Amino acid sequence: MVRFKHRYLLCEVVSDDPRCRLSLEDRVLGGLIRDTIARVHGTFGAASCSIGFAVRYLNAYTGVVLLRCRKEFYHLVCSALPFITYLENKGHRYPCFLNTLHVGGTIRTCQKFLIHYNRRQLLILLQNCTDEERQAIQKSVVRSCLLEERSDEEFSESGDEEAAEAME
Amino acid sequence: MCSALEKMPTPATTYERIVYKNPSEYHYMKVCLEFQDRGVGLNAAQFKQLLISALKDLFGEVDAALPLDVLTYEEKTLSAILRICSSGLVKLWSSLTLLGSYKGKKCAFRVIQVSPFLLALSGNSRELVLD
Repeated sequence: MVRFKHRYLLCEVVSDDPRCRLSLEDRVLGGLIRDTIARVHGTFGAASCSIGFAVRYLNAYTGVVLLRCRKEFYHLVCSALPFITYLENKGHRYPCFLNTLHVGGTIRTCQKFLIHYNRRQLLILLQNCTDEERQAIQKSVVRSCLLEERSDEEFSESGDEEAAEAME
Repeated sequence: MCSALEKMPTPATTYERIVYKNPSEYHYMKVCLEFQDRGVGLNAAQFKQLLISALKDLFGEVDAALPLDVLTYEEKTLSAILRICSSGLVKLWSSLTLLGSYKGKKCAFRVIQVSPFLLALSGNSRELVLD
């Protein structure tokens, strides 16, 4: 079948500064990546990568970004990502770097990988929690799993929480 | 049909065929720089700077760092012999083609000869004059 094939790059924005992730915006990040590709790969790289380039998904809380590019030129985008050293937003410059987690051919494979990755990350983060945070997490998990015949609102709440977990 | 071929006598001389798949790592280019107005001079360092800036414009910092050497340079005629690794030949040639100006003055690169062997650049059959 004849279609345009893409590569989806799943990346994570890693930074010391906690304000860096909150100021993530898809347009700002897209512009930054295009400028970096133009600097590293010149006019040819900028033109060839910008045709199918888009920021498909952005999560400001976890810093996960999903980028799309054409299959023929994805190696240019991939090799330009380590040259991103800062994120600039409203005059503030935050030093950060992009960590590539997964390269997939479709959004679905990237989503499957992200669910798997998040589950492992949750376990790792739980070990580094303080006692208060651990108790708060236990309370919220018990509340969502507990089957009470109090009202139907309990069931719809737990369903929403599970769906939110799966989306992340 | 196979039995008829087998009955044919084997030839007395056998030959060996050796195939080289691009034996040379480098390609050598003889180029000449032409300016629109006369009287513009460049020394060897400025010439190399011009080549690298042409590569940087079109292909970025990664390909501006290709191992490029200016083997000979003549300031009077502005001609030079360049050496580039074979994978970078297409990139260098295309960036020389698209270079339009140096410090605001219009110029053009003329590529006279390209060869994977340096010896071939010493004699150009196009410049032969037959008596």
